[in-house]
Amino acid sequence: MPGLISFLGDHFDAFAAGFWVTVRLVAGSFAIAMVVGTLIAALRVAPVRWLQRLGALYVETFRNVPLLVLLFISFAGLRRAGVDINAWVAGMGSLGLYTGAYVAEALRSGVFSVGKGQIEASLSLGLSYRKTLRHVVLPQAFRTVISPLGSLMIAMIKNSAIIGVSLLALPDLLKQARIVSSQTFRTDEAFFWAAVGYLVLTVAATLLIRGLERRYAIRR
Amino acid sequence: MQGKSWRWLVAMLLAAVALGAAACGDDEEEPAGGGAAATPEAEQFDPSTTLGKIQEKGEITIGVKFDVPPFGFKNPQSNQVEGFDVDLGKAVAEKLGVKPKFIEAISDNRIPFLGDGTADLILSTMTINAERVMEIDFSDPYYIAKGRILTKTDSPIKGLADLAGKRVCTALGSTYEETIREQAPKADLKLVDSYSECLELIQNGAVDAVSTDDVILTGMIIQDDTLHLVGDELTVEPYGAGIKKGEKQMVDFVNGVFDEYKQDGRWQKTYDKWVGQYTDQQQEPPTQTVKEAIAPS
Amino acid sequence: MTYLFDPGNWEWLFTGNNARFILEGFLINLEIALIAMVFALAVGLALALARLSRNPVLSFVAGLWVDVFRNLPLIFLILYLALALPTAWRDVWEENVPDWAPEAFQSGFVFAALVGLVLYNSAVLAEIMRAGILSLPRGQSEAARALGLSYRQSMRHVILPQGLRRMVPATVSQLITLNKDTTLVSIIAITEVMRRGRIVTSSNFFAAVEAPVLHVFVFIGLLFVLVNYALSRLSRRLEIGERRRSGAARMEVKGLEDQIPAAEPA
Repeated sequence: MPGLISFLGDHFDAFAAGFWVTVRLVAGSFAIAMVVGTLIAALRVAPVRWLQRLGALYVETFRNVPLLVLLFISFAGLRRAGVDINAWVAGMGSLGLYTGAYVAEALRSGVFSVGKGQIEASLSLGLSYRKTLRHVVLPQAFRTVISPLGSLMIAMIKNSAIIGVSLLALPDLLKQARIVSSQTFRTDEAFFWAAVGYLVLTVAATLLIRGLERRYAIRR
Repeated sequence: MQGKSWRWLVAMLLAAVALGAAACGDDEEEPAGGGAAATPEAEQFDPSTTLGKIQEKGEITIGVKFDVPPFGFKNPQSNQVEGFDVDLGKAVAEKLGVKPKFIEAISDNRIPFLGDGTADLILSTMTINAERVMEIDFSDPYYIAKGRILTKTDSPIKGLADLAGKRVCTALGSTYEETIREQAPKADLKLVDSYSECLELIQNGAVDAVSTDDVILTGMIIQDDTLHLVGDELTVEPYGAGIKKGEKQMVDFVNGVFDEYKQDGRWQKTYDKWVGQYTDQQQEPPTQTVKEAIAPS
Repeated sequence: MTYLFDPGNWEWLFTGNNARFILEGFLINLEIALIAMVFALAVGLALALARLSRNPVLSFVAGLWVDVFRNLPLIFLILYLALALPTAWRDVWEENVPDWAPEAFQSGFVFAALVGLVLYNSAVLAEIMRAGILSLPRGQSEAARALGLSYRQSMRHVILPQGLRRMVPATVSQLITLNKDTTLVSIIAITEVMRRGRIVTSSNFFAAVEAPVLHVFVFIGLLFVLVNYALSRLSRRLEIGERRRSGAARMEVKGLEDQIPAAEPA
């Protein structure tokens, strides 16, 4: 036991740096996922057929492709094609676009839960489609889907570890654990503390969601 | 479940399994040894010893690289692993009278592999150094590589001093992690799982330099001639075969095989085949012992 | 853009062994997913029953187990097991793998990968099963007890069959996730589709035709999208069938991206 704790003390900088990288990756990806997800959800509920199809194409592509493949394509593939994308952008972009497809689906169900009646009422009052979406539908939709969005955030925390093991070479928590483990040959201790780090993040996210749900969620 | 969907799902599953069985029917397989007797010329070892147990199994598991030409590389056209390390491994297996089974050993798991018996022998461009000697045993050096730096031909980096602030790639768990940290502390170190990833990163411009053994770097230059070596030797890297700690009999055996290999000309032939013909450089088989290899130069 | 569609860059697909090499790898991914799914279902059921058990200790421990494994990154589990799993277990695997199994399966690492996948997915499935069982109206279990069935009998003949049937669509969705997750085993040196893709792109040493990274991985991505899309259609159909039959509300299981309820128009 004391060995375990002193191990953390000895390598705290490495673990802390990795933890911080993971946090930044998740935060950045989440922001991208929310923006992209909202856009795609808007496409999906648009009254124009081909916009709906476009949205559906996005969702089906990004939901069914493995994240690791996306990472390769966005980093190695694009760079070879001449796009000077850096590892952070590729990592956050991939995870963000990937999760964005799920955000779009969650929001879409949220939108449907708002009910046609409200949309019709708002349109008949003279609000444009876009204004209706912005001021009537989406605010309610978001509040309905706090729980699924929270699930996605937890999924993102777990998926961020995939970025670390890919060729993007970003030193996230899992990567730092592997570095420490290969330097000290003490695999169990290194991985134990990495596990603790990930559980701290997921528990924190869970508590955050529960708090938000209590305050803002609309139950239907 | 609705009758139709159930049947469809079962059909899909059966199809997947059938495809799998059909596809692997044509795989070239080295049949796993199951009590195959050792060939008559091989010296038989007592079955209670490690070597004896390997002979009983009929195969020796050797960890090699699968993506580092010209030392260990899986050729997709033939589905076989090839390279300098592989040829050496085949010689050891042949002398023991067993079949060699090659598995992939990436840098951060090759030492644990020996410890837990996943591999009997590691031949994966592994440098002998003082830290590793504490965990495992080594054969005498079978190749002396030099640490170098690789960059694109149009790069302004000319040597170690120029690495400050630049992105340098090397493998997780390799000796270069420490070497670069010590000798170029201001360099931005990017650690990846294997050198094939480093090659990808320098080719697409995500890193500015790669540092590792010159032969591995030469393997990269062969694949892409817009790359070149710069600067002086960073380190001397004597490669040794990795063996589980305490297995003296095996160490002696492997050393015996290596000595023969060096003396009867096979080393030179293998060198020319895998390295010499590409680098136009001559080399002699190394004569160091492990002790000399660890001693600081 | 033209880079992507330039036919010269797709030549590798039709030369030599490349396409077959990659497709064989893809098959390995699918096989790993199926095997892991079968075992994860079995273990998951055991975990779910443990969690629903009236024994508070069992329920608590199972709950803790499920919560820990659901919240750890799968790649973390796989990497750790690859490094830490006792070799004896791996030897047993390697001795018992039949010869007709593909070469990639001969490696003891597949065992570590499968254990990791099963540990993670069984925890996930346990949650799905529990949600399925809990979503049954109380009346079902009450009626069963009123008819004189014991706890075990009511579970076996009334609750479980219905509850588990409800989770079939969710299970198929989880299979989609599993499929994607099998790419992670490439990190522990199993030559499935990702590794093979990388070998093909770096095989310029031997091959005549260059295989660009972008195209190889777009191809691999398409393979996954096709199979997973088909599975998602299946899941959707099963769900609609289920809903029509039993009027079941869509279950939500927290913490999993592929379990986000598919949107249905109001």
